[in-house]
Amino acid sequence: MPRSSRVVAGLPSEVEDVFEEFRTCELSTLARDGTPITWPTLPFWRSAEKRFTVTTSIGLAQKAINVRRNPRVSLLFSDPTASGLEAPPAVLVQGDAEAPDEIETSVAGFAEELRKVYRWQPASRAYGSNPLTRRFMDWYFMRLSIHVTPRRILWWPGGDIWQEPFELRMDHAG
Amino acid sequence: MRAEITKHLYQFESAVLSGLDEEGCPCSVRCRPYPDTSGPEVLTVWLPPGTPIRPGPASLLCHSHDENLWNLKSFLVRGALKKDAGGWSFEPGQFIPGAGIGGLPAMVRFFINCRRKASRYLKKRGLARPRIPWDEINAAKRAVSYQPINKS
Repeated sequence: MPRSSRVVAGLPSEVEDVFEEFRTCELSTLARDGTPITWPTLPFWRSAEKRFTVTTSIGLAQKAINVRRNPRVSLLFSDPTASGLEAPPAVLVQGDAEAPDEIETSVAGFAEELRKVYRWQPASRAYGSNPLTRRFMDWYFMRLSIHVTPRRILWWPGGDIWQEPFELRMDHAG
Repeated sequence: MRAEITKHLYQFESAVLSGLDEEGCPCSVRCRPYPDTSGPEVLTVWLPPGTPIRPGPASLLCHSHDENLWNLKSFLVRGALKKDAGGWSFEPGQFIPGAGIGGLPAMVRFFINCRRKASRYLKKRGLARPRIPWDEINAAKRAVSYQPINKS
């Protein structure tokens, strides 16, 4: 937690807009030696469940394996490229994650997210579009889910991290 | 390693520094690291006074994408974050190339490695290679109109 922050009781719409519109966030998981390992990922905010889902291929399973060992994660929303948002806040989400050892291949349950990916990332339609990519890229469609439940959300209006952030403790929120 | 990091670092406007806060939770912040002359492998980082990150294990990520979430480029440096009277510094330990680093040979290696890792993941669990429902996936593609964004 920063030395000082402005604690608030609810999540403002400008922060939810970031969750909905940012193409990527930076997901940090903890390696075996405790080093935070951070890679960009596509976040899906499920507002009704008040949690995020990110998915990863079993060919890139290390982040899920890290979560199974230590559930502490963070998501930083700091790159607004392509979001269409003007001067959005930078948002840091710290929370607990779970990564069930269940390989998903079906679109069922992920249809909305998959459509979002194809809308945002048109070139990814090439994956699996012909026999060659279906043969050599089938691993990409063998997915693991990582669900992140926020415990604390910090945001810096306008993305200015030199300002005092706002803070929402989700374990205190209604 | 410093030369390799510096070469790639200058292709990005900023980096994401990740460390641990006082409760041991991962925590990230955008910063602009630059090579420091005080040590052969050290990067100086400027962090806000109230930053929750504590000295200790850390990593530095640079990544970018275009308006169509393509032309992905990324790399990660594992290392350690230090603080002294002169401020914050990041001591690199391992350079890990990500997307778009190393050209076509690296991309081919990446795909082959991912396929191998997927096979190992399945083998370790005694699972047969799942059948991918291509019809469902192609239907999802057709459900979205193709509208790439052209922005200079």
